[in-house]
Amino acid sequence: MVVADQSLLPMLMYGNKVPDSTDEYANWYIRFATNRLGLAYTSQSKYAAEIGSANWYEVLSRPDVKVGISDPRIDSCGYRAFMACQLAEDYYSDNTILERVMGDFSPPITVSDNLGSHVIAVPETVKPKKVIMRGYSVQLLGLLESGDLDYSFEYESVAKQHGLGFVELPAEIDLSSRDFADRYGQVTVKMDFQRFASIDPEFRGEPIQYALTIPTNAPHTNAALQFVEFLLGADGQRVFLESYQPTLDLPEADNPANMPARLQSLLEQ
Amino acid sequence: MSRVRSWMRHDSMSVVFAILAMLLLVFILAPVVKTVFSSSPGTLWDTLRDESVYSSVLLTVLAGLLATLIGIVVGVPLAYLLARRQFRGKRFLEALIDVPIVIPHSAAGIALLFVFGRQFLLGKLFGHVGITFVDTLAGVVIAMMFVSVPFLIDSSKDAFKAVDVRMEKVARTLGASPWQTFFRVSLPLAWRGIFSGSVMMWARAMSEFGAVLILAYYVPFLGDRATVAPILVADRFTAFGLDAALPVASLVILISLVIFVALRYIALRGDKQ
Repeated sequence: MVVADQSLLPMLMYGNKVPDSTDEYANWYIRFATNRLGLAYTSQSKYAAEIGSANWYEVLSRPDVKVGISDPRIDSCGYRAFMACQLAEDYYSDNTILERVMGDFSPPITVSDNLGSHVIAVPETVKPKKVIMRGYSVQLLGLLESGDLDYSFEYESVAKQHGLGFVELPAEIDLSSRDFADRYGQVTVKMDFQRFASIDPEFRGEPIQYALTIPTNAPHTNAALQFVEFLLGADGQRVFLESYQPTLDLPEADNPANMPARLQSLLEQ
Repeated sequence: MSRVRSWMRHDSMSVVFAILAMLLLVFILAPVVKTVFSSSPGTLWDTLRDESVYSSVLLTVLAGLLATLIGIVVGVPLAYLLARRQFRGKRFLEALIDVPIVIPHSAAGIALLFVFGRQFLLGKLFGHVGITFVDTLAGVVIAMMFVSVPFLIDSSKDAFKAVDVRMEKVARTLGASPWQTFFRVSLPLAWRGIFSGSVMMWARAMSEFGAVLILAYYVPFLGDRATVAPILVADRFTAFGLDAALPVASLVILISLVIFVALRYIALRGDKQ
């Protein structure tokens, strides 16, 4: 199981028992890669010549610019786009950025502020009135290429893998740097599901960390171990870097004692 | 003796065929019936009163109807030409018309985006009159129309072919213009086939998922935003799981059943006359 947000694994797999068993789905995971949130665009995008990391939110606020986001309920890139806009408000001292970039939603997505921290509440249906939304951020790439979107919130690796332009955001906003972990932590996106879900997932801003684990009920644990060894080894790391995906200098484990012994020795090297 | 044997052979075939038919019926009916009855009438009523659900159902029904009406205006003349005229490349054209049925519908959506996208030919053309297709009702309608209009054309073509061409010739010799002949002879005689083709087209349009998903997710509708029912069901399933998706699925199946049983009844009643 490989995810783009390490917080998902403890939230959804720790403590959750496999049916008819006393095992949790997982009790360890390894953080192994990071990424940077920014804006994917093409040469046909409106104002492509003038957008940069200083004026991006100004450009995205213009009425003739089509902005794409992915669904914050199901895609990490979606809720992180909201985080980035909220962080931008603090960074640029302009508390209209989130609303100007994202526009209205029906029902509204609300932000509550408390002692400098912000909680963005996402309701169970997300119907955007300004931005163009699809379930997952990669589904927006086709619309970028067809010219029906000018910019979409996207990870750097994905934008570059597809040969698209990428507007970098300041590190205080783009969720890439551990140096700003405290700053990122000021923003939380909370799923405010009234009816359907038994848990309301809550995502606190933090540096993007991709994580993996092998579920306790995996049908082919040995093959999974081999894959993890490949992924964390020199060959795997080279594949990541060639795909513009920054890796962590040193992969780190959560609950290393629970890891298979083969992986423990791998991480100690 | 030989009569009895042939009757028995016939009978064993009937039995085998009946068993095979039963298997298929169970395969079709079990999921439909189980889904419809999985939600209590109270849950279904609450689901229908859920604002996103009823606006979605309404959007689906109306967009499908709009696609079908446009399909009738442009598809029936084509069907008539195919039924009555001989020309080079006709076979090829007939095969071409069925292409939307056989290609994956996500591919159909991409093909449409490639023509109706803001930077492409038709997209630019419509853009001049203020019509765009991404996340708009127009996008839903063209996606639905593309994948469903072959049903209308094929069925109308067969209906026109079944009209005796001598009737049209008699009308012409009696002084009727081609227009009069079409509207007063061919169309009334072919209406049942056109009608059942329209019903098929509408049904197919309303059930479209893949092509709509690529062009139009949430679209402006009745002062708010709505998505088509197939996408709503998938969205509930993805975001909240089976329990949340089931009542919506039951409701959508139920509504489709009611509409199409009623329409088929109308078409069949015409048959008896």
